[in-house]
Amino acid sequence: MGDDLLRDVERFLYREARLLDERRFHEWLELFTDDVRYWMAGRSTRYPPSSQAITVLDRDRRQALEVEDELAILDETKGTLGGRIARLDTGMAWAEDPPSRTRHLVTNIEVEPGDTPSELTVYSNFLVYRTRAESEQDLYVGARQDVLRRVDGAWKIARRKLVLDQNVLLPKNVSIFF
Amino acid sequence: MADDVTRLVDVEHGRISRRIFVEREIYEQELERIFARCWLFLCHECQIPRPGDFFSTSMGEDPVLVVRDGQGQLRAFLNVCRHRGNRLCRADSGNAESFTCAYHGWTYRNDGRLVGVPFIKEAYYNALERDRWGLVPVAQIDSYKGLVFATFDADAPPLREYLGEMTWYLDAFFDRTEGGIEVVGGLHKWVMPCNWKLPAENFAGDGYHVTWSHLSAVRTGFGGDFRVGTDPTGAALSTGNGHSVMIVGAHMIADPPAPEVLAYEEKIFPEIVKRLGPRAGRLKPVAGTVFPNFSMLKPTSRTFRVWHPRGPDKTEVWAWVYVDKAAPPDVREAIRLAGVRVFGPAGVFEQDDMDNWQQCTQTGRGVVARRYPLNYEMGLGHERYDDQLKASASDYRFSESNQRRFYQRWAQLMAAEKWADIR
Repeated sequence: MGDDLLRDVERFLYREARLLDERRFHEWLELFTDDVRYWMAGRSTRYPPSSQAITVLDRDRRQALEVEDELAILDETKGTLGGRIARLDTGMAWAEDPPSRTRHLVTNIEVEPGDTPSELTVYSNFLVYRTRAESEQDLYVGARQDVLRRVDGAWKIARRKLVLDQNVLLPKNVSIFF
Repeated sequence: MADDVTRLVDVEHGRISRRIFVEREIYEQELERIFARCWLFLCHECQIPRPGDFFSTSMGEDPVLVVRDGQGQLRAFLNVCRHRGNRLCRADSGNAESFTCAYHGWTYRNDGRLVGVPFIKEAYYNALERDRWGLVPVAQIDSYKGLVFATFDADAPPLREYLGEMTWYLDAFFDRTEGGIEVVGGLHKWVMPCNWKLPAENFAGDGYHVTWSHLSAVRTGFGGDFRVGTDPTGAALSTGNGHSVMIVGAHMIADPPAPEVLAYEEKIFPEIVKRLGPRAGRLKPVAGTVFPNFSMLKPTSRTFRVWHPRGPDKTEVWAWVYVDKAAPPDVREAIRLAGVRVFGPAGVFEQDDMDNWQQCTQTGRGVVARRYPLNYEMGLGHERYDDQLKASASDYRFSESNQRRFYQRWAQLMAAEKWADIR
């Protein structure tokens, strides 16, 4: 994939991050296609069913899994993302009152062809710093895998898969978007 | 300390000292007298169905490994190597015949026996009594309708007696249809900066907060109109031994507001009444807490969870989502999605709870704020024992009667030297 395309995707993702940090959530929502699945998995460490070997000698036992039909941290449609934004607009969403101050840092962007000519698969990493009220602070770090689709001459996000790297989440909540 | 603690809980007047939510010494006493003594929830049996399956959790702050051994028997041990105290198994779950410590290689069979000690002949001259150095087992382990509990106290009453009249209400959450329930794969685990008792008492009896804390989520369609409506039916029930449940009238909708779930609930209602008896035709359970730290919820999300204590101002939540084993795939999927969207770390209901519990804990650090007791007097004198419900029931749907019973039990346990002093 060419550098021009990479720059184009970067510009799109950086603007998206700015919309989030400026809490322009309604404009942010318009970056998604109507059929988007917006999904965030957590991580866990599991040992699959045993062989006869002693656990510790069996290298393939340690797996970090994200499984699609299991519990996720987020599993949203455009409609439920809109519902989350509408909830913030009520002025009674106490977890975001006062609102979080976020800084979305997006890095390690790679662009690959998608399943159709109008789509791209885009990998990126994120580091989001959140501070709130007087001294609350959290870090959310993980990876994204997006499907970007060309719709009427503009990029839209048709699928977003996020993996948050913590097992036991250390932030008290996930009340922000990624 | 022991004598002092009972003065901090004045159930008769509905006053509770903030000291019990912030002070380290009281917390340490809780670890001894509540968590090393009560039956604590470990996992659901469906998580460890095969021989060798294990699940790693904790009881209080003690790390615990729950296993189904080679003979299919449920066991639980401290997840701690007896040699230097290293944490033995570092995985969250899986299947293993044995566990080998990463430090010096001591190996334990999944029934707890110490079966391997490197250089036992040369370095220990074969004198190490391996039989005496197996994993430390819990004192008692038992399950009720698939819910696995254990206690570190050999003198604790048997599980059925400990649960008492709460068993019927557990059935009404977890054994409504043939086969009972199973859990959706995976757990939500996260840390809340609050005292563990705040979420436990909230699920035990706080229907009151729903109408305000969660109004934003209700108004934007995430939770139906549960509890915000003006229907007066419902009550807070204390079933004894500190266990609590909140109920609504059977005609009320107490389910995630997805069309497939509502249709399913309507369809199975006669079966539930047939299975559980006439009480099920009169009421629906909504939420509850098995003392001390196992809570459950049925509307908005189908979740049960453990509030693991991690210090006076820190709680680690482990939350499962459950479905009737007999539920069709579309109902399961709707319940899974409700479990993600409404409860859990990103849940539009639960986010707001955590923020409140955090502040309720943290303001108690002020020594002056701590001089003023908290108010638990809602519904004082408006509760009575109901023979049919087999519980002490509040007259109105909102009451702090369950919270009072929770803290009464807490104070009893904190003051008692041993189980015999409580029963």
